[in-house]
Amino acid sequence: MSRRVYLDHNASTPVHPDVVAAMLPYFQERFGNPSSVHTFGREARDGMEVARGRMSDFLRVSKEEIVFTSGGTESDNLAVKGVALARGGGHIVTSQIEHHAVLRACQFLEGQGFEVTYLPVDGDGLVSPDDVRRAIRPDTILVTIMHANSEVGTIQPVEAIGPMVRERGIPFHVDAVQTFGKVPVDLARFGIDLLSFSSHKIYGPKGVAGLYIRKGTKMVAVQHGGEHERRRRAGTENVAGIVGFGRAVEIRGREMEAEAARLTGLRHRFWAGVSASVPEVRLNGHPTRRLPGTLNMCFRHVESESVVLGLDLKGVAVSAGSACTSGSVEPSYVLVAMGVPVDWAMGSVRASLGRGTTEADIDYVLEVLSPLVRRIRELSPASVA
Amino acid sequence: MNYSQILIDHFRRPRNAGMMRHPDGVGEESFDGCGDLARFYLRVVDGRVAEVRFQTYGCGPTIAASSAGTELASGRPVTELLTLGEAEITEAVDGLPAERAHAAQVVAGALRAAARDSLTRRGSPSQAKESEHV
Ligand SMILES: Cc1ncc(COP(=O)(O)O)c(C=O)c1O
Repeated sequence: MSRRVYLDHNASTPVHPDVVAAMLPYFQERFGNPSSVHTFGREARDGMEVARGRMSDFLRVSKEEIVFTSGGTESDNLAVKGVALARGGGHIVTSQIEHHAVLRACQFLEGQGFEVTYLPVDGDGLVSPDDVRRAIRPDTILVTIMHANSEVGTIQPVEAIGPMVRERGIPFHVDAVQTFGKVPVDLARFGIDLLSFSSHKIYGPKGVAGLYIRKGTKMVAVQHGGEHERRRRAGTENVAGIVGFGRAVEIRGREMEAEAARLTGLRHRFWAGVSASVPEVRLNGHPTRRLPGTLNMCFRHVESESVVLGLDLKGVAVSAGSACTSGSVEPSYVLVAMGVPVDWAMGSVRASLGRGTTEADIDYVLEVLSPLVRRIRELSPASVA
Repeated sequence: MNYSQILIDHFRRPRNAGMMRHPDGVGEESFDGCGDLARFYLRVVDGRVAEVRFQTYGCGPTIAASSAGTELASGRPVTELLTLGEAEITEAVDGLPAERAHAAQVVAGALRAAARDSLTRRGSPSQAKESEHV
């Protein structure tokens, strides 16, 4: 078992060697506090501002509209709570399949007297722009819809939702943690006011992310302290992380397009192989509107975790759709919202491909997957029932 | 998740997997709120487990614990299995992470049910024997 195949890039990615190289000087030579006025501080600040410039170039916005945070989770919290708390009350529109960072921020706000509409999705995992329009009320203060879902990879029609929300003068937040640096995000055309994007999904370090806040968007800080990030996010910035994130974005700018095409090809190869060799399997998510490298499938009468463990023993890393927490296994809330029957949803497995994934990797996984699923099914009482 | 070598070995090469025709006892247990299901079949000779097989749907630890459970049950007096506890199953796979403790519960519960079932049937052995062959 010397072969190792990592197919969990939606969870996190290895840091690109050029990113590591860019970060290193910021630990020991340019270690200053970017708020300090002396040379040490200025060196750190300069590095950070170069990174900010790379973000703003990539997103085609101005540097002042980028705030650095500690992760996608913080960006989502800052966006949702920052806008809501600036209004003090009102109604929020979101979807049932958002990341927990958005869902739980919304639930927290419900506890503070806000009202939230959690829109359903269709069988492909799509939010309907018409549903969004119908959900908007006179007191709606925020619409927050993710760009792509991390589990199934479906890309939401934000280009149809955004302009309609903008017309009504309501801020539109998009959690683009899974799409930023993977597929184009056109802020102007999509009518986006706030965008969350994260570093460790695109070969940058963990614990650093950004929030784009369109000029003029009314919001308050969620974390209080110093004057950092134009008083929108207090706390000494993670300079080395931000520098690395900047380099990661710059690399994505060059590689993104070709990489998306390559991963789409590999994903097709993977799915073609699985559907040809494993009976009773279904593909989850939209057939075409999806992240290039994300494949989510359900094996009927198989429990996801046994597949994950079996593949892990063969050196292959994928993730389970159903999550077992403190003794109760629950099918993924995303698949449940999409109407996937429970006996299928319990057997969902996600493979997310990335820069390092090769055709040989996919072929190896195909070789070990089908006997594994067959073996697990043979053990199951359902196989004879 | 950190699993013991013994658990991994049982998962890789499950012992005594599969259905048994005409068993002397069958027992099942499923876990609340979780799809895991274990079913055990017993063949009993002179009050002892002569053969045992399992069928399990569940995560890796539940499959491994089922396999380990068959080794534990094999050769034992059926009456002993009536009080089989999950601790013994947990020990047989050299420990379970706290979040996977249910694996031992399901397996111990299913083995106890299979033992109960075989003893109930033994109440009228000749009848049971005959009905099995129709
Ligand atoms: C859609 C989405 N939003 C937010 C997050 C949270 O990002 P982070 O891990 O940087 O906190 C993730 C990470 O999995 C994600 O997929």
